[in-house]
Amino acid sequence: MPADNAFFPWVVFILQEYWPLFLRGAGNTLLIALSGTIIGFLIGVIIGVIRTIPIDHTISALKKSVFKAVNFILLCYIEVFRGTPMIVQAMVVFYGVALIWGIHLSPIYAGILIVSINTGAYMAEIVRGGILSIDKGQFEAAHAIGMTHGQTMASIIMPQALRNILPATSNEFVINIKDTAVLSVISVSELFFMSKSAAGTYFKYFHVFFITCIIYFIMTFTVTRILRYLETRLEGPSVYTIHGSQTVPEAQFRIVGRE
Amino acid sequence: MDKIIEIKHLRKVFGTNEVLTDINFSVSKGEVVCIIGASGSGKSTLLRCLNLLEYPTSGEILFHGQNILEQNMTTAVYRAKMGMVFQQFNLFNNLSVLDNCVVGQVKVLKKDVAAARKTALEYLELVGMSQFIDARPHHISGGQKQRVAIARALSMEPEALLFDEPTSALDPEMVGEVLKVMKNLAKSGLTMLVVTHEMGFARDVANRVVFMDEGVIAEDDIPAVIFNNPHNERTRTFLKRILEP
Repeated sequence: MPADNAFFPWVVFILQEYWPLFLRGAGNTLLIALSGTIIGFLIGVIIGVIRTIPIDHTISALKKSVFKAVNFILLCYIEVFRGTPMIVQAMVVFYGVALIWGIHLSPIYAGILIVSINTGAYMAEIVRGGILSIDKGQFEAAHAIGMTHGQTMASIIMPQALRNILPATSNEFVINIKDTAVLSVISVSELFFMSKSAAGTYFKYFHVFFITCIIYFIMTFTVTRILRYLETRLEGPSVYTIHGSQTVPEAQFRIVGRE
Repeated sequence: MDKIIEIKHLRKVFGTNEVLTDINFSVSKGEVVCIIGASGSGKSTLLRCLNLLEYPTSGEILFHGQNILEQNMTTAVYRAKMGMVFQQFNLFNNLSVLDNCVVGQVKVLKKDVAAARKTALEYLELVGMSQFIDARPHHISGGQKQRVAIARALSMEPEALLFDEPTSALDPEMVGEVLKVMKNLAKSGLTMLVVTHEMGFARDVANRVVFMDEGVIAEDDIPAVIFNNPHNERTRTFLKRILEP
């Protein structure tokens, strides 16, 4: 065991002793954050698309009221889950599900469930914003050639909207990696929970959480880099080919785009 | 003559603002009709009503004698037969020039992709944009965008083409290339309805010129009468203001 006041020897010692714990914790954190973000994203896309369906003269009165009811329920979901802390949601969902339905979720699944519905509430508004930010002319042009609202959304609007909301989505992902720490209140064995166990043995809280800090940062930094790369890929080609020319029809030019 | 569109007592109200009061007119096959008038006279609203981008408050729009405002004809089917070219081009930003002209044919007309590409290429060739099929809308100039937008509308092989101020958002040097394409289309016998401020185009190319003022059609006649000897005092004032600034 290292001397009491030696900082780095202790850090190395703890790493040697507890690296499987850190690894499992980090793995669980990534698992929960990744699945939570993906499921939350899908929830957000579905809700965002539903909430931007135009209500116009072509919709019957019955459909209109069904639609309004659905919209109201979705709005309640968004407001409740955006308006309460995730740590409280975790307690309510975990113990609530056990009490009301007698279902005892394993902490990991409970964690994924909570992060998903929490992220879904935020993503719903992000997606809706992304859709609303697309120029009205894009909708009109699609409608003018006879495309339905569904076709317009699938072929024209969503590809543009999803590309635009990618930065906000990667933001959510990073937030989720960090915020899974609150799931330790329902004993999810994620990084923070594992760190606490590791720190308890020798009472070296600073040393342990120094390591934890670095692991969190490595995870978030890697994720932001990957998503940034994805973003540039989705921007589409900045160069294009000009086919043929007035004088030499078989000639092909590559010219640089104006970006 | 075979009337493609006939409009009866068309009225459009936005809130308390009555934009179109009582519009009656018709367009026959092969006709080129220019709609002129001051800003806010309802020209664009009339055109947008014809494509149901604005839903008329009351009145009838007859397409080959059938009222499209009744539910027996789906909006999408009708719109596919009525092409539209916008002032702001509105090319699909996520698609290449070629795909802009293909997507509607595949999704709406249910053509297979190869046939749709062939049709798209023909019309892109017609507007002189076949070299740029791989470009994205943000790569090309305004005039080029508008020519692609025309090719996109033509690719749907519509029965009539509506132009909503197609050259108003263009740099002056690019107006010519778009007008040239439109002139060739007019010569080819396409039915066209053009809202425009290009009086030269209206005078030379149109079969009929409609002058709109404060939500009504003030005068509807051949270009020679409208430009040389208008019967309506308001037409005279408007043209004087436009042509002799």
